[in-house]
Amino acid sequence: MRRLFPSPDSLRPRAPFSRWDLVVIPGILVLLSLLTVALEGATQPFGPRSPDLTVSLEPVYLPYYSLRSLLRMLLAILLSLSFTFVYGSIAAKVPRSERVLIALLDFLQSLPILGFLTASTAIFVGLFRGSLFGLEAASIFAIFTSQVWNMTFSFYSALKTVPKELVEAAAMLRLSPWQRLWKLEVPYAMPGLVWNAMMSVSGGWFFVVASEVISVAGREREQYLPGVGSYIALAIQQADVRAMIWAGISLFLLVLLYDQLFFRPVVAWAEKFRLEQSGAANTARSWVLTLLQRARLTQRIARLPAALWEWLWLCSARFSRVGSALEGRLTRRRRERLADLGFNLGLAVASLSLLGVLLSYLFGPGLGFQGGRMLQPNPNLNRNFSPELARRFASLGIAPGADRTVWLSQLCAASQGGQVVREEMRTLLHEPEVGAPANLVEACSRPLAPTGKVAWPEVWEVLKYGLCTMLRVSAMVLLAACLWTPIGVYVGLRPTVAQWAQPLAQFGAAFPANLLFPLFVVALANLRLNPEFWLSPLMVLGTQWYLLFNVVAAAMTLPNDLKEAARMHGLSGWAWWRRLVLPATFPALVTGGITAAGGSWNASIVAERVSWGSTTLVATGLGAYIAHWSTGAFNPHVGLGMLVMGLLVLAYNRLLWQPLYRLAEERYRLD
Amino acid sequence: MQSILSATHLTKSFSTPEGRPFTVLDDIDLELKEGEIVALLGRSGSGKSTLLRCLSGLVRPSWGEVRYRGQRVKGPMPGMAMVFQNFALFPWLTVQQNVELGLEAMGVPAPQRRRRALEVIDLIGLDGFEKAFPKELSGGMRQRVGFARALVTNPDILFMDEPFSALDVLTAESLRDELLELWSERRIPTRSILLVTHNIEEAVLLADRILVLSANPGRLMAEVTVPLPYPRKREHPVFVERVEQVYRILTTRPGLEQPPAEAIGIGHRLPRAPIGALEGLLERVAEGPGFGREDLSKLAGEMQLEVDELFPLLDAAELLGLAVVQEGDIRLSPLGQRFAAASSNTRKKIFAERMLLSVPLVGHIHRVLQTRPNGRAPEERFVRELEDYMPTEEALAVLAIAIDWGRYAELFEYDYNAGVLYGEGAPSPGT
Ligand SMILES: Nc1ncnc2c1ncn2[C@@H]1O[C@H](COP(=O)(O)OP(=O)(O)OP(=O)(O)O)[C@@H](O)[C@H]1O
Ligand SMILES: [Mg+2]
Repeated sequence: MRRLFPSPDSLRPRAPFSRWDLVVIPGILVLLSLLTVALEGATQPFGPRSPDLTVSLEPVYLPYYSLRSLLRMLLAILLSLSFTFVYGSIAAKVPRSERVLIALLDFLQSLPILGFLTASTAIFVGLFRGSLFGLEAASIFAIFTSQVWNMTFSFYSALKTVPKELVEAAAMLRLSPWQRLWKLEVPYAMPGLVWNAMMSVSGGWFFVVASEVISVAGREREQYLPGVGSYIALAIQQADVRAMIWAGISLFLLVLLYDQLFFRPVVAWAEKFRLEQSGAANTARSWVLTLLQRARLTQRIARLPAALWEWLWLCSARFSRVGSALEGRLTRRRRERLADLGFNLGLAVASLSLLGVLLSYLFGPGLGFQGGRMLQPNPNLNRNFSPELARRFASLGIAPGADRTVWLSQLCAASQGGQVVREEMRTLLHEPEVGAPANLVEACSRPLAPTGKVAWPEVWEVLKYGLCTMLRVSAMVLLAACLWTPIGVYVGLRPTVAQWAQPLAQFGAAFPANLLFPLFVVALANLRLNPEFWLSPLMVLGTQWYLLFNVVAAAMTLPNDLKEAARMHGLSGWAWWRRLVLPATFPALVTGGITAAGGSWNASIVAERVSWGSTTLVATGLGAYIAHWSTGAFNPHVGLGMLVMGLLVLAYNRLLWQPLYRLAEERYRLD
Repeated sequence: MQSILSATHLTKSFSTPEGRPFTVLDDIDLELKEGEIVALLGRSGSGKSTLLRCLSGLVRPSWGEVRYRGQRVKGPMPGMAMVFQNFALFPWLTVQQNVELGLEAMGVPAPQRRRRALEVIDLIGLDGFEKAFPKELSGGMRQRVGFARALVTNPDILFMDEPFSALDVLTAESLRDELLELWSERRIPTRSILLVTHNIEEAVLLADRILVLSANPGRLMAEVTVPLPYPRKREHPVFVERVEQVYRILTTRPGLEQPPAEAIGIGHRLPRAPIGALEGLLERVAEGPGFGREDLSKLAGEMQLEVDELFPLLDAAELLGLAVVQEGDIRLSPLGQRFAAASSNTRKKIFAERMLLSVPLVGHIHRVLQTRPNGRAPEERFVRELEDYMPTEEALAVLAIAIDWGRYAELFEYDYNAGVLYGEGAPSPGT
């Protein structure tokens, strides 16, 4: 709308603050101080001698725990964004890198997220030696791996599909690469990126809850990082119903706050980057964004970096330099081919040697698996001891292995089950590098088997587990689709119902379903139901919502003329479904199905092995297998489980979802 | 007069998916002089846009060189600007921010940027819309922003790729007039304009010189000068004469007396002629006052067809032996006459016969389907064959035309979902 006369507001002298600032200024101050508190907690010292981390089940601590979990979430999403920009840009722009990077991304995103937790803990603890932040980083990294891949994909594919005319315009205007990134590429990628980030964060809550309890090599007990997830884990372990309810309430508030304070504003703001050249019909709104835009202080703060920005901007400018052509001369084909050949050769050699390393790491004398039965894992005290320490171990009759690893079982044998600990041994066990369990006797009383490496029969076993899990995922997604499609269509066709159902479904997707797992355990245990079958619904408990809100959205946008035409032709009952509704919602169903299935695979690690108090229910499956071996350090069994799951998910997506997706794109798109 | 931009031996080839080079522009020499507007005309796919992009530095030629004021062009040079067919505005930036963009690349500090942008916005008639987003504007206003963004850097040379073709007739007319006004009153410092167009009248209205490009490969075929002062009147005898002349040039095949019925293979680029439009054209010519003979410029004006729509129809009619195009006229052949007068079924029969005879690709598909035991073949098979001769996009387009024609003539059928071609009478794979 164009105003003919300036509004009276603009004539009034402008005070530095408006009444909106009354809300915004205290808000900012509170946020800043909370951030400080959380950061302080996350960077406390933590060494080998520090006591085990634990949490208290008193509800008064919950606000603080929530704060810490929130901080992890925040850091993870920031990390994801940075990774997305860098990785996506490289893949889209550096010639040839695409082939490697995108294939890698595809594989990484099929790997089970919680498997990363075991793999990364040792690295981060080593990296931030002496600080709690090592453990924090491991937890953040697990959340990061749950969020980042789809964001990176979205950014990469946006970079590849920037409209040609805009690219040419940018080149003609001689924008520098820096300017092009911020004026063209990032804005173009923004709607997809924001949408994907929202999906990611929804999924992230699940993993916050699952990744705050960390096993550290050498420590006998698991470490409970202060956070809601640890609180829940402890409550589950102690079968504390009251604590579970408190945790549920605080998570509810947490998800709500995050949505209102963070994501609504971002989504509303990202609306302006849509490419459609016409005014969009239903634009997202956010009261927080309105508040921020009206408050003068934030406007001022927002303008502070402008000077720096402008400086960067002008530094990168081309002045009177020549721009860059979009496409070079036709390179001489021979040289091009040679370079290609060299690159492919290098790639093949690299992947072969990587495969060799991986195989030799995974396979060997299998000790974790005997006679078709899996044994308890035997943690190591540490691997790669310094020669000096290795010698001291050897002098005690504990000969370190070839990679200078000492196993708990060896220690137990040398100390007669922890009963006889001589003085030299005690001092040795207290060396910072050595992670001996605090209660040696108790640790040795459990049946131990060195994890060893993977034996070939185990691979077949694991493949079988994988197929079990695949069966569960497929059946459950199908079931959820059958359940939610009619409901989604019903809701979507009624705008008033859809208005409140849509956010509700989104909330459902964000609310971590693992909180509800214990309910199932109690029910299954009391009713004596077969866990093999009845644990399956847990996998889709948190991911079914993607199906619902995709279907609702599709039904909401069903064109009116199609509906009217259907009515004119008297379509009703099954014919109405078959000819109108199912084809129209099919693409949404596929999109939702892909997300739901991906999430379910990941959830299998926590859903196939659940406990409440002393009851633990296990369903045969790959998730349960990985969970079984995910105690302590990363070992070949976890590696095998992750590898198999990654490959299975990859195959599953390629063979099932991709054809469906293509079909949906080509045949059932409504525009 | 001083030369601003010159190209010598400019050649551009792309490669087909098979790796074979395929030449779009062949050995082009041209020169843009100070103070002139030059229009590039040619059929669709003749390489006009590619030539424009080579000259502006967006695309590097495969051979030959381009010089701008003596400097070798290796990328977009300062002093060059371009106006795009679909405006190419950044939808997330306001009008003013869009206009300032060119200055930002030149490192102009913010206050000067703002001042200069407002000046140009004023000049181009956009004042009041500085804070609007492109999506709030009409097509004409958007292209004004396109012009403002190009002109804000005071370009020496302005490239335009069909700048008016996305606008409706009236808007295009007024925008053209305004541009001419700015140009002839020297209110913009631009010294030369190169314009690609499909519209012959537009070319004669604007340009001092018209360069006509032949297709496959693109070569400079002719040059027409228009020695008329601005603003030009469409009724002026010289104007009418020049329009006629351009039509004559575009319909004359250099060195080929016969329509190339035998010379073409399956890699021939079939003209993009929709059957319905072809029928309409032939009917109109047959029933018109000329009894099967018609002047093309008149026909185009009457049917509101631009070069890129009219010429594919003419090519198709010629290819099928339904008409002969010569000296700016179209003349129906006896077969064409019969076709125009026939019932729908007879038309299909004539079409089918002619196609099997003179469209090798259609004949090839027909034969393949007949030799197959189940009478079916996937479309990829033919796309791959076509890719020997042309890039994938082009191959898909050509196959789409062949399918459209073949379906009309009831030579074969096509299942969109399965991507399978099947002979008449073979069971459909979809059901
Ligand atoms: N990047 C590219 N890669 C491969 N082939 C290309 C590329 N760009 C253009 N071509 C081919 O070059 C030929 C000329 O294209 P161009 O767009 O220059 O024609 P044009 O005269 O502008 O056509 P139109 O009138 O339809 O705009 C076409 O056959 C096209 O397929
Ligand atoms: Mg073009």
